Amino acid sequence: MIFLKMITHESIRPFTVLFGAIVVLGLVDRGNGNFLSVATAFSVLQLFSTLGLVSLALSLSLIVRGFDLSVAGMLSLAGCVAVLTGAEHPWLGLGAGLVLGLVAGILQGLIITQLKIPPLGVTLGGLLTFQGLSYALTEGQTIAYPHYNLALVLTKPIGGFLSYRSIITLGVFLLIFLVMSYTRVGRDVMATGSDQHASRIAGVHTDRILIGVFATAGLLTALAGVLLSYSLAAASPVALSDVLVPAAAAAIIGGVSLGGGKGNPLGVAAGVLTLCILRSGLNAVGTSPFVHEIVTGAVLLLVAILDAPSLPRRLISWRLRARRI
Amino acid sequence: MSNSPPHRNPLSNTPILSVENLSKSFGPVEALKSISVSFHSGEIRAICGENGAGKSTLVKILTGVFLPDQGTIRINDLVCHLGHPKVAQQHGMAMVTQELSLAPHLSVEDNIWLGNSIVPLFHRQRHLRYKARQVLELIGLDSLDLSQPVGSLSIGERQLVEIARMLARQARVLILDEPTAGLSDVEIDRIFNALRALRSNGTTVIYVTHKLGEVFELCDAVTVLRNGKLVRTCPVKEMNRESLVHLMLGRSAQEMYQPSQKTRESPMLVVKDLQVPGLVTNFSLNVSSGQIVSIAGQIGSGATQVVRSMAGLVHNATGSVQICGNNVPLRSVTGAQASQIRFISEDRAREGIFLRLNVLENLIATRLESMFVAWSVLRDIATTLARMVGVDDSRLEARAGELSGGNQQKLAFGRSMGRKQPGVFLMNEPTRGIDVGSRLDIYKIMRKLCDDGNLVVMTSSDLEEVLGISDVVITMYRGAQVNCYTRGQVTMHNVLTDITHPQMRERKEEL
Amino acid sequence: MLLLLTIGALATPGFLSTPSIVALLTSMSFIGCVAVGMTFITLSGNIMSLCLGVTLSASSLIFISGLAFGIVPALVLAIGFGIAITACQGFLVGYLQANPIIVSISALALMLGTADLITGGQRIYPPGDGLDILTGNLFGVPVEVIFLISSVGIGQVILSYTRFGLRIYMVGTNLNAAQAAGVSIWRTITGSYMLAGLFAAIAGILLSARYGSGDMELGIGYDYDAIAAVLVGGTAIHGGEGSVLRTLLGVAVVSVIQVVLLLHGFSQQMQYLMTGLIVLTVIMLHSMGEEHS
Repeated sequence: MIFLKMITHESIRPFTVLFGAIVVLGLVDRGNGNFLSVATAFSVLQLFSTLGLVSLALSLSLIVRGFDLSVAGMLSLAGCVAVLTGAEHPWLGLGAGLVLGLVAGILQGLIITQLKIPPLGVTLGGLLTFQGLSYALTEGQTIAYPHYNLALVLTKPIGGFLSYRSIITLGVFLLIFLVMSYTRVGRDVMATGSDQHASRIAGVHTDRILIGVFATAGLLTALAGVLLSYSLAAASPVALSDVLVPAAAAAIIGGVSLGGGKGNPLGVAAGVLTLCILRSGLNAVGTSPFVHEIVTGAVLLLVAILDAPSLPRRLISWRLRARRI
Repeated sequence: MSNSPPHRNPLSNTPILSVENLSKSFGPVEALKSISVSFHSGEIRAICGENGAGKSTLVKILTGVFLPDQGTIRINDLVCHLGHPKVAQQHGMAMVTQELSLAPHLSVEDNIWLGNSIVPLFHRQRHLRYKARQVLELIGLDSLDLSQPVGSLSIGERQLVEIARMLARQARVLILDEPTAGLSDVEIDRIFNALRALRSNGTTVIYVTHKLGEVFELCDAVTVLRNGKLVRTCPVKEMNRESLVHLMLGRSAQEMYQPSQKTRESPMLVVKDLQVPGLVTNFSLNVSSGQIVSIAGQIGSGATQVVRSMAGLVHNATGSVQICGNNVPLRSVTGAQASQIRFISEDRAREGIFLRLNVLENLIATRLESMFVAWSVLRDIATTLARMVGVDDSRLEARAGELSGGNQQKLAFGRSMGRKQPGVFLMNEPTRGIDVGSRLDIYKIMRKLCDDGNLVVMTSSDLEEVLGISDVVITMYRGAQVNCYTRGQVTMHNVLTDITHPQMRERKEEL
Repeated sequence: MLLLLTIGALATPGFLSTPSIVALLTSMSFIGCVAVGMTFITLSGNIMSLCLGVTLSASSLIFISGLAFGIVPALVLAIGFGIAITACQGFLVGYLQANPIIVSISALALMLGTADLITGGQRIYPPGDGLDILTGNLFGVPVEVIFLISSVGIGQVILSYTRFGLRIYMVGTNLNAAQAAGVSIWRTITGSYMLAGLFAAIAGILLSARYGSGDMELGIGYDYDAIAAVLVGGTAIHGGEGSVLRTLLGVAVVSVIQVVLLLHGFSQQMQYLMTGLIVLTVIMLHSMGEEHS
């Protein structure tokens, strides 16, 4: 019982779920070696690199109670910009993509804090604008990136299951984890999400925090977009727009609360890994790709129901009604 | 605190803080009229006055939220301009409001240092932890775990953490606004002990309250404000309850309330074994119509939960409620309304009325009997109701949010009135945050409701109000009913004892 | 801004020609039906749904495959499906207070996945014809426009003249106050979602009739156009303020901009960008206006 309580404790739960997913898929695989292999680990981490930073960006915005829808648009926009500007010098493309993400995030943060508009409205506008921009830049086509060798370098396996891309992603996760857990800034971010009004009275510069969070979200997403486009040696405005569902699902599985003030980068990492393992695992045991979408959607729906504020209340009234009191 | 000034005799020597001829107006309203008062180190000073007397304006000027129109503020004999809360803080002014500024998900330690400018970027440091422990010890919270999230603390403990934060910021003058609202006696005692410890440490405590008992129990001196003017400052020793009430009101307390005209005999509302897990145990009631029944109790006594349960708003309430012999379904607002229950919330902005809808829509919100809306009929109804409660019926199209607090409360009443069948009116704190004039109107409406054969069941934390208006007073303590009095039997002393220390009385009776 | 738009439109060569006006009106109809549905969700305080476009596509699939049983059963099936899908979401949002955005994106993923699993991602075609009545003209007006006008009419009557409509406003501006006033929160919210599903399904039927096929890509972009129209019309994103007629105005603005851009030779892609910028501008203008008043 104590053990059960421990593994379902809020801060441990994401890791329990991750472990459960590995065990279940391992059992389904029944030692065929398709699932529990270094190759699967590699592909999981590659998926992780795409989804992880977006999910982390989304989580940061959720922690301060701002649902940053624009990450879905920024992912493809940053990729397109990087491919277009970095044809000669990859670093230039990277720089352009990152600056774009940062500036866009700051702008959204400014609009939210200075005009006092709900973040959802602003980031929806951002999503549409970024998507439109990337369509306009690419004229709706997939554009190829000439540096194929860069793609090879980025995705070359290192030590079997890592690659430069996944190392960068893991590094960013570690950095954000350290900032959130050990610095005053991280504490202020949590405080702002926990109770914005109270934090402002206490003397936290909540506006700066919000702008900073949206800027970081933009930056992280842009980094993910650039890395993805470079490693695919292509950028396309459409293919990436369906990232929002898994990113949100991963964040919530990772222990981020829609009510704000809760969440930890390590938990988010576990959430993302869970989804990636589900995906790779389902692949490895040979299910149709459409099933992934259904599974992700179902998981997200389930989490939304479990996270619903009125669920406990409704359960109690059902029980009372059943007893006819 | 290491650099505490030597303990000085209160009401002597140079004051640590003094204001001279302080005035402040908001548009045509003069909130403060040339007030001069001084505060000394090592004293606990009460500031008393009715709503609108100017207490909060004075406090907000002292903490730099408002700039005064005129007058000077001296701290340690130096003239200061407290133009901004930050400046006030640097001068050692600190304020703890009812609305706490703690982040519930963060730990006690993080909350103590939240918003403090001396915290370095890497904030997990041993000396900060040590200092946090020190300030907690100073106010008697030695046992608290620094890494516990504040959300898991009781309201009283949070209040103390808030005070600890101010001490960590080197506060020399600590201002508290109604700090004991919503606290149990044990917690009130803890706060009082903490404040006494601070006093002997040389800190000045300014204590804004309308609970007269606390003035006499805790404070050294009291400053009374009325209508923005300073009435008097004097040591508590020289006052008694009656003289203080008289200073605050400028008249005696009884004039506001009209006695009831008639009572009827048949029981209208019968409640049996009403239970809300953890909040209310076995509450029973049997009253006839034409009366005002008050349930008195501190916050946490379950009084408001009793009222909310009957209104159908508590999802885990059980028991039986009957009106005129008919069963009222619990846990369903619609069911309660069909049984002629009308609920008026204490929290107007959150659940009382629709601030963004207009007056008309607010008045007819609960009387949409048919599928389709006939606006002309509804407009007639709304006009009648508006006149009935004294809201200007030419303002039917105005947004409810533009009305004064008193008029908003009248809307909430109006919505429930004008029905053919008599009903049970349930209300929590019917006059919270309402100016004296509208308060009188609302008492008149309540009495009128009774004369029309309705029953009013209300809760209030204002005991003067409870004693003045009620025909029946029920006292509650920690979820259970203590006593039931009728008008004439009830005294302030009985009610106060019941809702604070009922067991002491029982013990006396045993002896 | 409206004036600018009118001048811009009139100054565009070819804008006033009959075919382009008919094209404008039909495209308005598709966006309009979805936007009317979206208005109900926004008014009820649930911000927006990101799955109305997919609901539209899925109803088009159901409609086209249902044609095997005749046109009336197909209509009933498609509309019933649209309502059922959104009713489930409305129930989760209203009864359990689940987050509306999360519920809508998970429904989006579920519907896309299921539909692709069944159809294999293919477009489907009707077994015969008989769709003419849904694409022709009635009294010289395209059928789509008639559907738009009746959707707007019905929607506005529901909002202004029924108890349910008034309750949507109450729930949208203040959930707790509505509950204390005896309004059943979950019924009202579920009802608003069902209306949204109804109108999305109608748009799906009309679109599939126009293109003569059912397709999961039919509804792409309609969510965003509808949201843009709702917001441009001045319905508040936090709920409780706005109307269907205002949304119609918003639909007109969004569609006119798109047609003008198209006639000026801008690509489809630029239209996405414009929609985004319009949404941003309108939200900002709206909030600034609110601060002044």
